[in-house]
Amino acid sequence: MIKKTIIFPALLIMVFFCISQETASDLIAIKGATIIPVAGEDIPEGDILIRQGLIEDLGKDINIPLNARVIAAKGLYAYPGMIDSLCYLGLSEIMVLRSTVDHRETGRINPQLKTVEALRPDSVHIPIARANGITAALVAPSGSLITGQSGLIRLVGWTPEEMVIKSPVAMHIEFPSLPRRFGERETEPCEESSKRVEELKKILNDARYYAKRKEVARKNLLFPFPEFDEGLEFLIPVVKGELPAMISVHMEKDIKAAIKFVEEEKIKAIFFGVEQGWRVAEDLKKAGIPVILSSLNNMPPEWEDGYDGIYRNAAVLHKAGVKFAFSSQSSSMAKDLPYHAAKAAAFGLERKEALKGVTINPAEMLGVNHLMGSLERGKIANIVLADGDILELRTNIKHVFIDGKEMDLSTKFTRLLEKFKKRN
Amino acid sequence: MKKNIMSLIIWISLLVIPVLISGQNLLIKNGTVLTVTKGTIPKGDILILDGIIKRIGENLEAPEGVRVVDASGRYVIPGIIDSHTHIAITAVNEGSEAVTPEVRIRDVLNAEDTAIYTALSGGVTMIHTMHGSGNPIGGQNIVLKMKWGRPAEEMIVPEAFRTLKFALGENVKQANFYTPVLRYPQSRMGVNAIIRRELLKAKNYMEQWDRYLKVKKSKKSAKILLPPRKNLRMEALADVLRGKMMARCHSYRADETLEFINLSKELGFKIACFEHASEAFKIAKELSAERIGISIFLDNWAYKIEAYEGIAYNAAYCTKKGVLVSINSDSSERIRRLFNDAAKAMKYGGLSEEEALKLITINPAIQLGVERIAGSLEVNKHGDIAIFNEHPLSAYTRCEMTIIEGEVYFDRAQYLKEREEMTKKKPNEEKKKKGEEI
Amino acid sequence: MRVKNHLSVIWFFLVIFFFVINSSARVGPVYAIVNCKIIPVSSSPLEKGIIIIRDGLIESVGSPEEIAIPEDAEVIEAEGLIAYPGLIDAHTNLFIEFPKEEPRQRGRAMGSQEKESGRYPDVLAFKLLKPKKSTIESYRKIGVTTVLVAPKRGIYSGQSVLLNLNGEKPETMVVKNPVALHVNFSTARGLYPATVMGTMAFLRQSFLDAEHYNAHKSLYAKAAKGMKRPEYNPLLEVFIPYALEKKPVIFTCDNQEDIKRALGLIDEFKLNGILSGVNEAWRIAERLKKRKLPLLVSLYFKPPPTSLYVNQGKEMKEKAEKVIYPANAANLHVSGIRFALTSYGLSKADRFLENTRKAIKAGLPKEEALKSLSIYPADFLGVSNTMGSLSPGKIANVILTSGEIFEKETQVKKVFVDGILFKVKKPPEKGKAPVFNISGTWQGTVSWEMGELEATVEFEQEGNDITGTISSDYGEWEISEGYLSGNELTFSCTAMIMGETMEMNFSGKVEEDSIDGTITFTGGSAELRLTRIPKKSF
Repeated sequence: MIKKTIIFPALLIMVFFCISQETASDLIAIKGATIIPVAGEDIPEGDILIRQGLIEDLGKDINIPLNARVIAAKGLYAYPGMIDSLCYLGLSEIMVLRSTVDHRETGRINPQLKTVEALRPDSVHIPIARANGITAALVAPSGSLITGQSGLIRLVGWTPEEMVIKSPVAMHIEFPSLPRRFGERETEPCEESSKRVEELKKILNDARYYAKRKEVARKNLLFPFPEFDEGLEFLIPVVKGELPAMISVHMEKDIKAAIKFVEEEKIKAIFFGVEQGWRVAEDLKKAGIPVILSSLNNMPPEWEDGYDGIYRNAAVLHKAGVKFAFSSQSSSMAKDLPYHAAKAAAFGLERKEALKGVTINPAEMLGVNHLMGSLERGKIANIVLADGDILELRTNIKHVFIDGKEMDLSTKFTRLLEKFKKRN
Repeated sequence: MKKNIMSLIIWISLLVIPVLISGQNLLIKNGTVLTVTKGTIPKGDILILDGIIKRIGENLEAPEGVRVVDASGRYVIPGIIDSHTHIAITAVNEGSEAVTPEVRIRDVLNAEDTAIYTALSGGVTMIHTMHGSGNPIGGQNIVLKMKWGRPAEEMIVPEAFRTLKFALGENVKQANFYTPVLRYPQSRMGVNAIIRRELLKAKNYMEQWDRYLKVKKSKKSAKILLPPRKNLRMEALADVLRGKMMARCHSYRADETLEFINLSKELGFKIACFEHASEAFKIAKELSAERIGISIFLDNWAYKIEAYEGIAYNAAYCTKKGVLVSINSDSSERIRRLFNDAAKAMKYGGLSEEEALKLITINPAIQLGVERIAGSLEVNKHGDIAIFNEHPLSAYTRCEMTIIEGEVYFDRAQYLKEREEMTKKKPNEEKKKKGEEI
Repeated sequence: MRVKNHLSVIWFFLVIFFFVINSSARVGPVYAIVNCKIIPVSSSPLEKGIIIIRDGLIESVGSPEEIAIPEDAEVIEAEGLIAYPGLIDAHTNLFIEFPKEEPRQRGRAMGSQEKESGRYPDVLAFKLLKPKKSTIESYRKIGVTTVLVAPKRGIYSGQSVLLNLNGEKPETMVVKNPVALHVNFSTARGLYPATVMGTMAFLRQSFLDAEHYNAHKSLYAKAAKGMKRPEYNPLLEVFIPYALEKKPVIFTCDNQEDIKRALGLIDEFKLNGILSGVNEAWRIAERLKKRKLPLLVSLYFKPPPTSLYVNQGKEMKEKAEKVIYPANAANLHVSGIRFALTSYGLSKADRFLENTRKAIKAGLPKEEALKSLSIYPADFLGVSNTMGSLSPGKIANVILTSGEIFEKETQVKKVFVDGILFKVKKPPEKGKAPVFNISGTWQGTVSWEMGELEATVEFEQEGNDITGTISSDYGEWEISEGYLSGNELTFSCTAMIMGETMEMNFSGKVEEDSIDGTITFTGGSAELRLTRIPKKSF
């Protein structure tokens, strides 16, 4: 009798003790913030509960366990961590010093390259971007025709492996720019082919047959087994439709040609750049190809585009129903990602849509929207607490969480400032 | 007596009456007027006559025939001044030799550079367009107003200081690009040595001329004297030593900046401003004590090693320490978003709105010597104005109109109208080509 | 006997002596051109008149009533023809051949410092003349009897010479040598000055140096004792007459800023300045009118790359070349400015007259155009007392045309240069029907002494007329004047290479899938070999 009355409460106490051993850092409650989940309505004065790296609950007056570490967020705004759809964070330190730049390889056909294998987690640019609310980024290769495989990273980690969220995300291809045909009328389709587009088609075709020959040879031991071909092996997922191709394309004529190319080759594609996309928004919509816009700091390619050609691009694409995302296309200026979105909002894009362009849209396009891109139950706790609109220039970021852990917001900027404050 | 009074009257009136310019008339109504130096008027009007701001206030009436611009719901600021660019010119850097102060940017102006229009679309009304940074001693710079459509000589701002470009560091050492022949200097030691050498040569040249002139004056000498050879390169440096031209020196590292200040004291010339100065925050106290300003990027950094310790807090921190700071673009693309850069000085360093706006208006005006005519909205200054649809320091803003001396040089509404007409015409033109009926 | 022998010897030598003296002054034929309409330019036109040419000069011009045909005159029946003064082209770079350059090696500064830095004021065009018979003929064919030939390369490119196209030997062609010093706003690539602002500083310094050198020389001349003698400078010696003694300096201006630069220098150093090229002159007509400088206006209509007409879209660029720039001369005339018309920038002689027609179409009055090709250039070049119009005593440069000179169908039938009669060859028959259709894309190589260049060419064919573009690593250039006759292809092309404009002409043979031929340009030639890229659906 006495045993029963002791054992049961003792068990209860032990269980309780075990539960409370859940470290305080794993259980965080953000209280009283205006929540902008991106998916769904804004929640004024809401709370978010983070448990073991995930958003367990969010809303008004949710249940918060007693042992949760509480962050008083009254007057602050909670946003999903931003996602940079194309940058060189971790791959480029000092632009003119080639020894510090690793996103560009020699040679034209390099499907074998993986950017995540060259990451430098200690890059000074990563904390600076993180401190401005960017929590994930697609690090991409650059180069000639087929430049390599990009990967999605979180902006924290001691080693490259710790940083990788998903790799590969896409195979990057620079679509050949078609030669300007003299006297051509824009409405007629291109009759002449460019050597490079032919080349591209041939490579994909070769990859298809290479895969087929391997399959067949595997089924029948008497058939010759093809020699390993690096240039084709890594393209197999692309031609099979498993790995999307991220195609860099810029001018109206090239975009149209690229749409045709994607349809004929039957591959999954995302377009990057698309500076004249506004001219062919309908075609892009019909083809169902999502678009990652290049940096809004680029100049419009042609005078006829108008001085605001690049700025109003996103608004026109959105109106036609094309899905788009913003990118910084940089490493040292990756922190400015939100201001590209704001610039598009200054030229016709609704502010809510601009915010989507750095949150849920890239998450969907890069295939990680089950993990991030919005503040929803079950998603990773990548959360930014700011004293205002995160797309605004004067907003200060107060807290950044990646995978539910609070980030150190000190950067090279802050460290040098502190050092020299002591001198002056 | 009468003569003296007359000349006195003439002198006083010359001081009081602003330089007459052939500007236009304009009345801007009902905007939020951010004067930068004299506070904000929530619903303010600005009257410009003959290109000069004549009145700033509320409920002003337009004299007959004066165009009225409705600025309701909009923000009116002084025209933005970019104090370091290389636009509107057809040549930038005379790199064949290391010392070329005789070359003048004013000889290679190009009024048809579309970058001028780009600048206007970003609210910029005045620029300091400069020689490049490839030479320890470069060429003579010039200040222009962005009067798109006018001939180049009408863009020149005569009131500005005469400035000579100096440069230190990696560009001058030709460290980051290949050259078939190595040009002296290739080290920072050489850079300082060559500047000292040329200025000493100039002193020598000045002395030779002084001696000649002295002998010429004293009719004692029976000998017929040949004047020294007039050397344009030495003349330019002599002007610097005489204080007629000031140095604007491109430098990144704190150490080379300090050494250049020492050079200026040793050789006796004045520094108007340091360009880029990414490490200025390290020596804010020296810059403040010497009263030398800086003209910098806000957060463009890490593109070369001498810029690897440039921090985004530079502008705000130096401002708080009493250094006169201006933000520049040094780019035909960046020039259209200087107001975005200025806003970042609030985020990185906590400057107030007004302090941030000063970085792109009155501060560069003071550095260029044109604060009497530009840089803020005050009566008797030129009517150089930019109108934005949101607060200029918001990321969501865009420039709606840019006005120089009362004339509208950029009008977004007009641009949109023209685009619409062009798009309407295009299908008709296509049909014409195909021979169809319109 | 002995005396007689001596006398005969003396007589013999006297005869030879007399012969020798007179044979150096060849007595040419005397011509009487009769029954033609005469446009003397310096006086009112004559419906029917006579021109008498004797000894290379015009003896008389007048109506048949006033003038008797001399006994020793060869009569040239010119019924139905019109007589004009031989046209003057006041600025060309033709006939100049520079010694071949050594190929530039990367990493080495080639040549002597002086030569590379564009200082050749001592170069005389006369010494570099290599007149090609075909070019001379093509000029006479369009009625041009007189050309000013100037060297092209360098900031100070040298001194020009005025030639009458009366043969092939340079010596007999010279009318005036040297005429002027030519200045270009170009740069010495890689050496000082490497930019136009450097060139301006360099030009200013050279004028100051000329003053100083001259001052030193004159002081030394006055009182040599006790004074260090000036170091002899051959370039400055040549330069002084132009810099200090008001001999003419011709500035070639490719855009309106060049004109402003030239005006600045002319004012600062009080030069006797003439502006040439100036195809943007109408844009600063007010200033030019006030200055009253001689202008040699080129009939080259492509807008300079700095012009706003080039940077604001394709439509604007086309309009500039077809409408705006051809109207340059007409606009200058409206502003009351006198000018000469030149072929500077054009590579083919027949373009000269064709472009004059375009200028007339754009509004330049015909009479003014004629004056701009005769009396005005003669005036500007200082030879108006001997050339530029049909009046007695002037040099007999006369052309007889089948119709009004600026009409398209008009042909030049006979040309007199320095009184020497040249018959003009009949123009070739209208081209044969093309054998092949060369529309499409072609790839190939251009090879010349400097190396090889890969190029892609797009052709479009309509009847005999060919248009298209050439693309290479140096850029994209448009093909014009393309003509395919049978299997013979000719076309012209203006290329922008490293900031310099070059006019090139191609002539070659076409096969089903290959084109082979030669490209010629000022200073050299190259081989072009093309193969067709087969059409494939994309």
